[in-house]
Amino acid sequence: MKTQFLIQTKNLTKQYGKIRCVNSIDLQVPQGSIYGFLGPNGAGKSTTLKMILGLAKPTAGSITLFGTPVNAQNRIRLLAETGSLIESPSYYGHLTGEENLHILQTLKGCPEKDIDQVLQIVRLDTARKKKVNHYSLGMKQRLGLASALLGFPRLLILDEPTNGLDPSGISEMRELICTLPSRYGITVVVSSHLLSEIDQMADHVGIIRKGALVFQDTLKSLHTHAKQQIALRTDRPQETLSLLHRGGLEAAPQEDGYVMLPVIEDDRIADLCRQICEQGIALYRIEKREKSLEDIFLSLTGKETSL
Amino acid sequence: MKTLGLEFYKIKRRKVGLTMAAFLAAQFLWGLWALRSPTAGEQAQGFLSLLYALPVLDAVMVPPVMAILASRLSDIEHKGCTFKQLETLRSPGSLYHSKAVCGLIITAVMFALQFALFILLGYALGYQGHPDPAHYLLSYVLKLASNSSLFLMQLALSMFFANQMIPLVAGLCGSLIGLLLMFVKFYSFLPWGGNLNSTLVMMDWDSTTRISTYYYREYSPVELAAVAMIFVWIVIFYTAGRILFSRKEN
Repeated sequence: MKTQFLIQTKNLTKQYGKIRCVNSIDLQVPQGSIYGFLGPNGAGKSTTLKMILGLAKPTAGSITLFGTPVNAQNRIRLLAETGSLIESPSYYGHLTGEENLHILQTLKGCPEKDIDQVLQIVRLDTARKKKVNHYSLGMKQRLGLASALLGFPRLLILDEPTNGLDPSGISEMRELICTLPSRYGITVVVSSHLLSEIDQMADHVGIIRKGALVFQDTLKSLHTHAKQQIALRTDRPQETLSLLHRGGLEAAPQEDGYVMLPVIEDDRIADLCRQICEQGIALYRIEKREKSLEDIFLSLTGKETSL
Repeated sequence: MKTLGLEFYKIKRRKVGLTMAAFLAAQFLWGLWALRSPTAGEQAQGFLSLLYALPVLDAVMVPPVMAILASRLSDIEHKGCTFKQLETLRSPGSLYHSKAVCGLIITAVMFALQFALFILLGYALGYQGHPDPAHYLLSYVLKLASNSSLFLMQLALSMFFANQMIPLVAGLCGSLIGLLLMFVKFYSFLPWGGNLNSTLVMMDWDSTTRISTYYYREYSPVELAAVAMIFVWIVIFYTAGRILFSRKEN
């Protein structure tokens, strides 16, 4: 069966002056997924999401939402089926949480009972009569999520929703986001600069670096990139390397004195150890190493970039 | 209509009415002080003189009031970063339009109350006869138009700039310009001259007898063009503000 994408962009580009913030991005968000949009700060995540929401005008490229190409005429109609929380929550500080939601409920044209429901979901029902100016940052963030959830849209776009939250708030937000597809059938796009966050929430991942999409697939597929290797440490790495090459193994030296070789069977490892010892080489260590998700992320996004 | 209704809902607790009431109270107190003991001649021309005095007062006092009104309506959006959410639900043009209409309704009510207050004051001071409905209505329409152009100018600035100091300073400068224009000519093509253009009654002051005589103004073609300019400013400010706001990215 063909995968249905709720968001599809083609060559989506945004240029400010001579700076190209987003460069020909082809985003594909499958229906029912939690799509983690990952990238270092300043990589172009927010700009991309803003273009999808029509808050920034693309320099080039096209956006398709729910299978319909977005244009000036249908933008609002298509966005009626989305909820969003971009960068920081939007609110009227002089109004109560409930009044804030009433404004959005009226604009969205959804039933009034949705206000009670979303307030319960984000656990703000006891603070509904409190002015938002008196809310903590975490409460404001939860109100932002409640606003986005009003009307239970088909698509939720959350840009760094855990920004400014304390660890328990982060975990609470994460748990809530994870339940959205199964409980309400909402497809979620969540951006973050934290790999661990996306790793715990998403099932699909897009990694953006300097405006370009460098990876897009399932999280499972990203995990398969995590390569296993065997690391050997001896007193004579060069001789060890020659010995391994003679045995037909693709070994490579490392700066820290280790010799890396691909994962091989246990019998072969035992044989290798025997050969090394017979050559009078002192074998200090044999380690099994795995390239972590973080290593993959760093190699994709560039180590020089701040995370 | 829904969006317009929400504009009024949003300014709940923002004390917009209080700002307008403070302006009306200041004008009314001036009225009580300046017109406190009218002579028989002043009583005879009382309702006519109000059509002169009020636009002159407005020329100085209204620009900052319009700046405050526009700022009160706009800064709630800037402070709460709400445009990025609202613009996913309504087009920027429609949001701008609702703000403009909301502000214009408040302005219309404020000037209607101003007229009502001063007419009552006139009766209380024993002014003879009654206000001429046609002239009072025309004066109200022109007053509303000229101050609407000021409001729309201020709204364009307030919606565009997140820092509300810029539009507020523009409002204060407008007040000074309004004052200066009075000493130059009693008409102007500048937006701050609208209140002077809409003064339907002029005054002759005899320095020897110290008596003021009021009479209905006969507009010259240039003065009529200046009145027409008020409506041109309305179109310019509304269109420019709406376009600028719509093009602004969040």
